[in-house]
Parts: sequence; structure tokens; C-alpha cells
Amino acid sequence: MNSNSQSAQLIRETTAKADVSPHTSKKYLQWIEKAKDFVFAVPALIFLGVFLYYPLMNSVYISFTNWNMTKPVKKFVGTDNYVKLFKNEDLYQSLKVTLHYTLLDVVLTLTIGLMLALLFNVFRSKMYAVMRGIIFMPHYISMVIAAMVFTWIYNGQYGLLNRVTDLMGFEPIQWLTNPSTALPALVAVSVWKGVGFAMMLFISGMRGIPNEYYEAAAIDGASGLSRFRYITLPLLSPMTLFLVITTFISSMQVFQSIDIMTNGGPLQATNAIVYWIYTMAFTEFKTGRASALVMILFVIILVLTITQWLVSRKQVHYEG
Amino acid sequence: MRDSRMAGEKQHRLRFTLRTMLGVAVTVLIFFPIYWLLISSFKTQAEMRLAVPTLWPKSFHWSNYAEAFRVIPYARFFMNTLVMSVGIVILQLNVALMAAFAFAKGRFWGKEVLFFLVLAALIVPDQVTFVPVYVMMSKVHWLDTFWALIVPSGASAYGIFLLRQAFKSLNNDVLEAARVDGAGRFTILYRILLPMAKPTVVTLGVLTFISSWNSYFWPLIMTNTNNMRVLSVGIAMLRDSIAGDEAMYFHIIMAASVMAIIPIVLVFTIMQKHIVSAMANSTFK
Repeated sequence: MNSNSQSAQLIRETTAKADVSPHTSKKYLQWIEKAKDFVFAVPALIFLGVFLYYPLMNSVYISFTNWNMTKPVKKFVGTDNYVKLFKNEDLYQSLKVTLHYTLLDVVLTLTIGLMLALLFNVFRSKMYAVMRGIIFMPHYISMVIAAMVFTWIYNGQYGLLNRVTDLMGFEPIQWLTNPSTALPALVAVSVWKGVGFAMMLFISGMRGIPNEYYEAAAIDGASGLSRFRYITLPLLSPMTLFLVITTFISSMQVFQSIDIMTNGGPLQATNAIVYWIYTMAFTEFKTGRASALVMILFVIILVLTITQWLVSRKQVHYEG
Repeated sequence: MRDSRMAGEKQHRLRFTLRTMLGVAVTVLIFFPIYWLLISSFKTQAEMRLAVPTLWPKSFHWSNYAEAFRVIPYARFFMNTLVMSVGIVILQLNVALMAAFAFAKGRFWGKEVLFFLVLAALIVPDQVTFVPVYVMMSKVHWLDTFWALIVPSGASAYGIFLLRQAFKSLNNDVLEAARVDGAGRFTILYRILLPMAKPTVVTLGVLTFISSWNSYFWPLIMTNTNNMRVLSVGIAMLRDSIAGDEAMYFHIIMAASVMAIIPIVLVFTIMQKHIVSAMANSTFK
């Protein structure tokens, strides 16, 4: 605290003391001040309460009822929804699909993002800035439109991709209607959208690494690869962890691309959890069951987030 | 000695050239789908179905763009998206500014606990709240209105957090001085803190605008008539309505998509520098 604010503090305190009268005690004035400060937090708290915390509690409750949205009555059925879900083969299929998608997405997005960061970091020329900007662009194109373009590229009859495979002498592939290619095809769209963002964050992480480290390593005769292995990679770990968590959580919630490109098919090969929740709630109207599934997803995300956070406290290198 | 330095320089230049070539190749590859979207939007239906696809449209078929307005109520969707996005930005920024002010500079009961509640909101996925919020909106008859599109997005935990960080880094002396001069809290917040934290506020506004413009899940659930649909949902609908032989209308879908991207590309191009630096800074500080 510098002298200016100290004197301001002093003035306030003395005037506050001088003001004390039988009617307006110092405590009362302080209470008013606190109330005024608190008022500014109220709108946010109301919004979060009404649109987040209340619905969260409500979802928990609905998950224990047999409600189907069209009926006004909610009957409490205990853990029935959960039991039925866990007995349902579809749950395991859906979990498998989601996990498969998520792992592929996280690994590919981060690896390619890191490689792009290494490629684009070095030169600060205008040309490189433009190229980085272009690579970042897909991040801000809506998933709906990205999915639309890729649907066209993947189209079995007229799509560009099959023209390419045709040129290489392969049979045309029904990318989105073939159970073994549908999921990777969806992942590809997500990776395409995500690598630019990962690259940008990795680059900003790399620029935060003090140059002396590399100079010292160069004096010791460390090769480029070992400099990467022992300096860049460890010092990038906070950035990596952040990307792993955020990519993981968002891929667990994959929805738009499925809704537009595959509708959960073929043969449930892309029926990821959130898409399944959506169809259960809004086309089958099994609201209670859908809410139970929501809770399962929420718990998975929560556990993963906490685990990653705990791991990060032990393993991640933060500077300073 | 001199020879080896020249050799080193030569090697350096070779590596630079290789790197640039690789960089250009990657950039072209990543840009390609966007390019494909653009040129497909100008092709005729017949050209879309050629056995050997053309990398440049034979002739620019601008009527695809007009067609998009005819097939779906495009203008209406566009305005809906704009009103929704601007509405969310204005509401969210004001709510976040006030909350950030309270949490950064205010003194009140349970401040830490309440701020924790704000942060905890970050880990709750949309899916957890959509059914109850949908029911709530239907009870107050807000479904299919701008209220349902805008109001549930009123508070953003991320925005509050980001602005609080920005406010915390600002010196208190100015605030004290303003207070001594008799400035009220609103004056302090909007006349002093807001201009000082302008880069963060602007970035947050832009990011909110872009994500609202691109949002899909929420508007899909909250609206059910053409009168209130937004672009993302409308474009998806355009495709659903032509199920069967998709290739029939893809040139029009592409035109509709290009028009939906333009505002984002504009905002993004103008703000790119701020967006990138803000995102890089926001992650750990």
C-alpha cells in the first residue's frame, strides 16, 4: 500500500469516527456499505440460481421420477431409472462411443496442435502470422456449418473424398453410413476445428519459456530433440493439462456434429451420450430416464475434472 | 572457418525453405474445407455432381444466394440470430461487470463462498440444466421468444472470472480518489473501471458474440417455429427438409452457410489479435 491510499484510509477512518452519532453508529454504516457492495453481485447470483443451481437440483429430482414431459404428474420411482439404464446394453454402447470419440479427439487435437506449434512458432514474419490466422479460423466457424461442409465432402456419391479415393484406385466408401468409418469421420471434423486453438495456446506457452534455458542447454550441447524433451515439453505441461481438460470435457459433450451428420447411426456407431440424452428427452419423451443419464454424464465429467486437477497439482511444472 | 559459416547459413536457409513449404502445405490443407464451402456455393447443381470435381466454378452462380432466401426464411433467421447474439452480449457483459466489481473490489458477507459458487458453475454442462429450463420457459410462456433465447444465458461464470481478474489487477487508489470525490458505485464501475479494463471487456464481448452466433443446442430446444429460429438451426433444418437425395440442394446449403459465416469472419478478422492474446492470458493468470 502506498502513502496515497494510506492517507485516504486515514481520512476515511477519522471522518467515520467523527460521524458517530447516537442514530448512525459506525457498525450500521458499515453494514450499509456491505449491502451496497453485495447488491452488485445479486444479478449474477439470481441468474446462476434460477438457470443453473435450481435446474441442477431439479434434474437430480427428475432423474428419480418416471416423468415423461407430456404428463403433468411426476411419480417418484427411486433409483429405477438408474437401474434400468445400467441394465441397458445401449448405455455401454453409448459410453464406449463417447469414450472412443473423446480419446481420439484429445490425442489427435493435442498432438497435431503441438506439432503445428513447433512448426509455426519460430518465425515472427507476417507470412507466418497470416498462416497461423488461417489455421485458427475453423475454431470460429460454427460446428453446424463445419458439419455441413464435411457432410458434403464425405458424401458417398458425389463427395470430394471419394473422388480422391477413386483416383487412388479404391472403392467408394460410405463414410458416414459405414459403422467403422462414421466415428473417425466425426472426430476428423472436431480435430480440424480444434488444432488451431491448441496450436495458439501451445505457441503462447512456448513464448513464455525464458530463452536462457535453451541457451544453457545449447552450451551443454543438448540436441534439438532433447531440448524439446527436457525443456519445452515439461514447461508446456500447464498448457497441455488445460487443453486436455477442456478438450476432454467438450468432446464428452459432442452433439452438433452427430445431430447433423449421422443422427447417432449407423447401427448406433455414433450414438454418444449427449445425443442419446437429447433423443431420449425430446423424441421419446422419457424425461426421467434422460435426466438419470444426464447425471451419469455429469458424474463422469466431475470425476475426470477432479482427477485431472489432483494429478496436475503433483505432476505439472509451474514456473517460479 | 568462413566456409563452415557459409555452409551453416546455407543449411539454415534450406531449413527455413523446407519449413515454410511444410507450413504452406498444412495451411492449404486446413483452409481447404473453407475453400470448398466457398466455391461450392457458386456452383450449379449439375456442376456439384460432376464425376471430376472442379476446383474453380465454371461460372459464378450467384442465384444460389437468392435461392437460400426463398427456400427458408433466411432474412428472418439472420435477424433472429443477430438480436439473440447482441442481446446475450449486452446482458451477459452487464451482469458480469457488476458481479466482477463486487467480487474484486467489494466487501460483503460470504464473498469467498459465493465466488466459489460462481466458479463451480464452470463444470456444470448445459445438458444438466436443459430439461428443467425448458419446462420453466414453457411455464412462463417464453418458449419461442427472444426471452428464452437470451435470458438463460444471462450469467457466464467464465466472464465473471475473467473480468474479476482484470479488475483485481487495477489499482485501488483511483477508486479511493473517486469515492472521496463522491462518486457512486455505478459511476466508479462504468466510468472508471470499465474504461480501464476495456481490452478484457471488448474481448469478452467478441467471444460471447461469436459463441452466441454459433450456438445450436440451446436455440434448437428453445424454439420451434420458423418465426424464431436462428441461422444454425435453420441451416440444419434446410438439410433435413431435403433428406433423401442430399446432393440436390447442397449448393444452396453452402450459400446459406457462407452468408452465416460472414459476420463471424468480419468480427474475427478485426479482433484476432485481441482474441488470441486474451485467450492465452486467461488460461492461467
